[in-house]
Amino acid sequence: MTYPLLSIQQVEKHFGNVSAVSGVTLDVQENEFFALLGASGSGKTTLLRMLAGFEALTAGDILLEGTSIAQLPPNRRPVNLMFQSYALFPHMNVAKNIAYGLEMDKLPKQEINAEVEKILDVVQLTQLAKRKPEQLSGGQRQRVALARALIKRPKVLLLDEPLGALDKKLRSDMQLELKRLQHEFGITFIMVTHDQEEALVMADRIAIMQDGGLLQVGTPNDIYERPQTRFAADFIGVMNFLPVTLSGDTLQAANGITITSTQTIDLPNGSAAVAAIRPERLHVDTQLDNNLAGDVVNIAYHGLDLLLHIKTTLSDKPIISRMTADVAERHCPTIGQQINLGWSAKDTRIFPA
Amino acid sequence: MKTDRRPLVLISPALLWLFGLMVVPCLLILVVAFFRRGVYGGIEYTWTLENIALVFDPLYFGIFMKSAAIAGLAAGIACVLGYAAAYAIASMPRRHQPMLLFFAVLPFWSNYLVRSYAWIVLLNREGLIANLARWIGFDGELPKMLYTEPAVVIGLIYNYLPFVILSCYAPLSRLNPEIAEASRDLGASAWTTFRRITLPRTVVGIATGFVFVFVLSIGNFVTPALLGGGQFQMIGNLVYAQFLTANDWPFGAALSMVLIIIMLGLLLLQAVITERASGGKAYTDG
Ligand SMILES: Nc1ncnc2c1ncn2[C@@H]1O[C@H](COP(=O)(O)OP(=O)(O)OP(=O)(O)O)[C@@H](O)[C@H]1O
Ligand SMILES: [Mg+2]
Repeated sequence: MTYPLLSIQQVEKHFGNVSAVSGVTLDVQENEFFALLGASGSGKTTLLRMLAGFEALTAGDILLEGTSIAQLPPNRRPVNLMFQSYALFPHMNVAKNIAYGLEMDKLPKQEINAEVEKILDVVQLTQLAKRKPEQLSGGQRQRVALARALIKRPKVLLLDEPLGALDKKLRSDMQLELKRLQHEFGITFIMVTHDQEEALVMADRIAIMQDGGLLQVGTPNDIYERPQTRFAADFIGVMNFLPVTLSGDTLQAANGITITSTQTIDLPNGSAAVAAIRPERLHVDTQLDNNLAGDVVNIAYHGLDLLLHIKTTLSDKPIISRMTADVAERHCPTIGQQINLGWSAKDTRIFPA
Repeated sequence: MKTDRRPLVLISPALLWLFGLMVVPCLLILVVAFFRRGVYGGIEYTWTLENIALVFDPLYFGIFMKSAAIAGLAAGIACVLGYAAAYAIASMPRRHQPMLLFFAVLPFWSNYLVRSYAWIVLLNREGLIANLARWIGFDGELPKMLYTEPAVVIGLIYNYLPFVILSCYAPLSRLNPEIAEASRDLGASAWTTFRRITLPRTVVGIATGFVFVFVLSIGNFVTPALLGGGQFQMIGNLVYAQFLTANDWPFGAALSMVLIIIMLGLLLLQAVITERASGGKAYTDG
């Protein structure tokens, strides 16, 4: 019988009467890049700290390759955590920080030095080996923290918002860098982030956390294209929501407009619901299954694409439609212009109101 | 551009105070130490190095060494006890810490003499400890406790322990707990984490506490007089005697001068250590 690398089973954590994590069950496979995505306070850090061994479980179990590690102290778990604050040792230089984990493994000095040199090269810190953490930039500190955890070659590397403190440009460079390192080292990564874009870009699978529980687990494509709840739909990417009423097989929106969807929902006739459509599925001046007229009230330029804000009679908030740069070049509406939006029935998702 | 004179105005009273009541008397002592003692106890204004030489006479130098040993022992024990107490306080929930600290330094707020007399009541042949020992059934000969060297050491530790607790608490409470966690995460046991992470990050507090207790103890004359008994001499008692009973001001001044130089040296050393540590350049761990 084969076990998943890491198996989290009905894990709960209460702080007094605050429930930080509740009923989390999750399997993570070998070599997976797994992202935990959730709003602030949703329990992401608490879950990671339980995996690393810093918080006792209130209930449940954690298995690594089929064996429970829930009772092991942090120093006896083949799991390493990269802290949100990096937690570098301020009184040791970069090389000493990185060597620390191997010294704890009682490796011979020669071997430690060789390993440290190797990893310094991988994270491009060779020149800074003798510097103290306080003499490093945020991005350099982040790489030291990463190297310090990676050098232990843990079975699972836990990363708590590893890119949180970096600016946008550096951040996207490091996203690629992290993915590359994960491949190179062949280590399972569980990364916490509250940036949904980062999760979509980097992860093999994503779990959305809300109020200490898992809302949905799936591949980035699953999560983006088939959100299971309205919260998930709203949390990931941009989504347009239109209030509707169920009537037979169709959705009745305001002003007698009918919206069609290939998705069905198990609610009685006449109940309130919301239709959800992604901006990139709304095509300007194209006749499709659903069509809707509106006025352009704003155009947000993003370089790669344009976001049109269109005021319609169906919702208070303007509807957002995405136009790629090349389409916009040929045919760009102006503010105040009336346009028609068309979309396919398969692109309408329905959620209970 | 007009320079801002306000800092100067604000600091002047304190500087004048220090100058008038610290620097000037110290300079006077310095000068007096090089004069000869008058026949009837006054000062004869002729230069001499005799007083300084006498300080290094084995008889007096021995007292110096004994004072240093007692002060060192008191400071060492106070550091161990104080660090442990500060560590315990710093690991309590944050909201309880101010109250615990308050209790730890509470003895400070009572009079030094009263505190020392309390130890006489405790250690005395008919005192509380002796009575307690008898009450639990011990009926052998109790060792002499009061008027001994250990009594002096105990008294000094007791009086100065709050200093060490405060000086150790400061760096301990500023530690980021995640740094110790990172050490555990990388495979270090709790003890190794303490030795390699917590202790080096807080040794400044111990150094400060040690120097304070040492400096305050080596010149102390009240505790040895009360708990060490009449013939027990520390350097403070010797100085006291030169000025007030032997009437040998120049020799008293010479003793004081050497003592002041030792104290200043230690305080300077401590200041340098603290400065270096806060600059982050103090230690290379390994
Ligand atoms: N030691 C603690 N004592 C009491 N409550 C705690 C403790 N640690 C966390 N909590 C609570 O548990 C909940 C989850 O916190 P957690 O730090 O796991 O959130 P998070 O998802 O990591 O948030 P963020 O994105 O802001 O880092 C929060 O409501 C928090 O207040
Ligand atoms: Mg967090």
